[in-house]
Amino acid sequence: MNRRHFFLALSGLAGCTRNSRPRLNVINYSDYIAKDTIPNFEREFNVDVRYSAVIEGSEETIAKTMSGNSGWDVVFPENRLVFPMQEMSLLAPLDHSRLTNLNQLSARFRNPNWDRDLRWSVPYLWSCCGILCPRAASITSWRNLWNEQYRGKITMLDEPSEVFAACLKVLGHSINTDDPVQLRAAQKLAIDQKRYLRAYLNTEVRDQVASGDVQAAQLWQGSAQLTIDSAPRLHFVHPSEGYSLYCDCVAILAESKRQDLAHEFLNYLYRPAVAAANSRASRASSPCTNTNESVLASGEWFRTSSGPTQRLRDRLWTEIKSA
Amino acid sequence: MTLRRIFLAPAALVTIALFLVPMAIVLAYSLMTRGPYGGQGMPWTLENYQRFFDPLYGEILLRSFWIAGETTILCLVLGFPLAWFLSRSGKRRDLYLQLVMLPFWTSFLVRTYAWVFLLRDTGLFNTILLSLDLITEPIPLLYNHGAVLLGLVYCSLPLAILPIYSTLERLDYALVEAAADLGAKPFETFRKIVIPVSAPGLRAAAFLTFVPSLGTYLTSDLLGGGSTILIGNLVQNQFTTARDWPFGAAASLILMAIVLIGLVVVTRNNEDIL
Amino acid sequence: MRPTALGLYATAIYAFLHLPLLVLAVFSFNSSRLTHWESFSLIWYKTALGDPALMEATFNSLVIAAFATVLSTSIGTLAAYGLWKKKARWLTASLSVSLVTPEIVTAVSLLALFQILFRVLRLQLGMHTVVLAHVSFCLVYVVMVVLARLRTMDVSFEEAAADLGATPWQAFCYVTLPMLKPGIIAAALLAFTTSLDDYVITSLVAGVDSETLPMIIYGMARRGVNPAVNAISTIIVFGLGILIVISQRLEQQK
Repeated sequence: MNRRHFFLALSGLAGCTRNSRPRLNVINYSDYIAKDTIPNFEREFNVDVRYSAVIEGSEETIAKTMSGNSGWDVVFPENRLVFPMQEMSLLAPLDHSRLTNLNQLSARFRNPNWDRDLRWSVPYLWSCCGILCPRAASITSWRNLWNEQYRGKITMLDEPSEVFAACLKVLGHSINTDDPVQLRAAQKLAIDQKRYLRAYLNTEVRDQVASGDVQAAQLWQGSAQLTIDSAPRLHFVHPSEGYSLYCDCVAILAESKRQDLAHEFLNYLYRPAVAAANSRASRASSPCTNTNESVLASGEWFRTSSGPTQRLRDRLWTEIKSA
Repeated sequence: MTLRRIFLAPAALVTIALFLVPMAIVLAYSLMTRGPYGGQGMPWTLENYQRFFDPLYGEILLRSFWIAGETTILCLVLGFPLAWFLSRSGKRRDLYLQLVMLPFWTSFLVRTYAWVFLLRDTGLFNTILLSLDLITEPIPLLYNHGAVLLGLVYCSLPLAILPIYSTLERLDYALVEAAADLGAKPFETFRKIVIPVSAPGLRAAAFLTFVPSLGTYLTSDLLGGGSTILIGNLVQNQFTTARDWPFGAAASLILMAIVLIGLVVVTRNNEDIL
Repeated sequence: MRPTALGLYATAIYAFLHLPLLVLAVFSFNSSRLTHWESFSLIWYKTALGDPALMEATFNSLVIAAFATVLSTSIGTLAAYGLWKKKARWLTASLSVSLVTPEIVTAVSLLALFQILFRVLRLQLGMHTVVLAHVSFCLVYVVMVVLARLRTMDVSFEEAAADLGATPWQAFCYVTLPMLKPGIIAAALLAFTTSLDDYVITSLVAGVDSETLPMIIYGMARRGVNPAVNAISTIIVFGLGILIVISQRLEQQK
């Protein structure tokens, strides 16, 4: 089938692949779905799903789909990227009459500030960003990560938004600030922290925390929980100053020619059993179950930053990396 | 000669369609303005280039130059004696040559990953040193300048050895012997005979190691742990996280211009690199 | 340097070049995830070979490399022949420049091209775009290798053929091409391995159904050290090694 697709593509006929079963192309992050979610959907609806988990960061979703000819149908952008993607006309409006299972969503996630009335996206899984460290370590706050004691044993995420979020929280500011003064102060703090840092690492840090090479790592809760499952001496800290919250949403691309099937897939994801299984497998929280209010209370949702702020942040980030 | 025309046509087509036109598009993008949420749009502007004249980006360029330069020098210094060895190795030469090339044939990513495997705290080096009681705590080998340099040298070394070898192979060893017979000191022979003869090879080797090292971003990512930023990372960031295509395009072209200057310097004697 | 010292030095460099890959291979047979040797096991090979995404990526990589090799080798050989006796300034210059263009710049420019093209033609990113991208960067390698081979050849053979009444096409087919064979094989091999190995360009121009092995390996490496990656790497190294040995044999039989 692949080979035939390839020949068709070469002769310039891509897009009209003759396939016995309809198919759906879904791109998501790694470790972000239960093992049987996709096979069950394929069986029940008699379709093929191309499920790809190659992207690591949310920005990659935009980068991959910005051309408008990526070939994907269903994507999982982070909440702060829903608006930019919609502004760039990348997303298709959702037809709620076909998404009957959305009544499973808890009230809080039915009208989020990033996408009122869920016109373009539906919350898929949400989580927060905190610190993964051994239970024995006396780490309770972001502030603890500026500590001589852990020199060379700390990592931060290689994501500008998360590093700024941590620094801004230490300073008591909002993670979404547009104020250049606050951003610069946060940057100064980040540069100051570099001498204690081993590296800026994303999920690849998990092994290193498990093996004890790294004593404390800024990490997303889902990834952290997956590590803790295999290394129970570790635990996840919700930093006392507050932390960032993010929600990965599921959306349908405007370029998709399979809007019906894509809606079926979305609707399927919100069946109670499926949603619960995905949440269990990824260790992130489902927007369908009772929300953990205490986690939400001290967290702050990421928002889309304006063009100039985005540019300032990028510049400050480049300066941090250069320092 | 029409046959020649026909033979050149497909390559000309590929070069125009897949190299010159894309470069022209990048040039156009570099003169545009970033859209509010990414992408590129009007108006035309030179701002993306002006932004580059900033100590911050200058420093990044300089750092990239520095590490590419270090890689090149290390490759030449390490590669030259081996190329000499190869050119003097007689019957087994083919085998030895294959042994140099073998790692080059294998995957670049795999070779870089191999060093992650060796250098991390629970990697082989630290495990051995710990079990020999030479150290009490793992030494941080990964995620620093040295690790990036090591990765770059490791990946470029075969590329440096081959061109040097191919010029040394043509060196008439009788010249070296004659020089020695005439009383030249080894160093003098080296400086006056070996170096001039192998100069084209050395230049090609320098160029072949310098260019890929200058634009690298994977090695600095995997072995450097993201704690520093090189020009390759800067370009890559603009096309992914920062979504600032016009600035990314300008940075690409500036990098390109620097490489072209290098190319002109290397081929200044009107010899083609092809 | 005395011969023995030089020999020692060469041994050290060979160790530097080969030990990392050997160690990787040895530990792919270790039953433990860690760097302590536990016991011999094929578990990581089972994991790797049982991973459908990985197998599909391998298949994709091979298909892409095969197409890119055939296309770039034929186009490049013809071009090298065209450039042999007489230069074409702009083509030589463009090819030289494309040879030295940093990968990331090539990648970005091709992505920009495909985006614009597809907005007009409504085509999608996929295997065909990856093949096109690979042809574009393999072409110059082929031209370089074949041209080098041509330069070692004597023009008088073709002239003799012409004197005996052969058309230029016949002279090319029956005289030059057979003599070029080792050069073409070497060029094809270089194109094949370069295509198989590319990550930077591929990852940007790939779409649905065109994930390649390096993309999967990079993804895995970014998620931490994973012995399954050691296993795949070992297979790649040995697979390519065997391929090279075979091609060398073929060349020597000539």
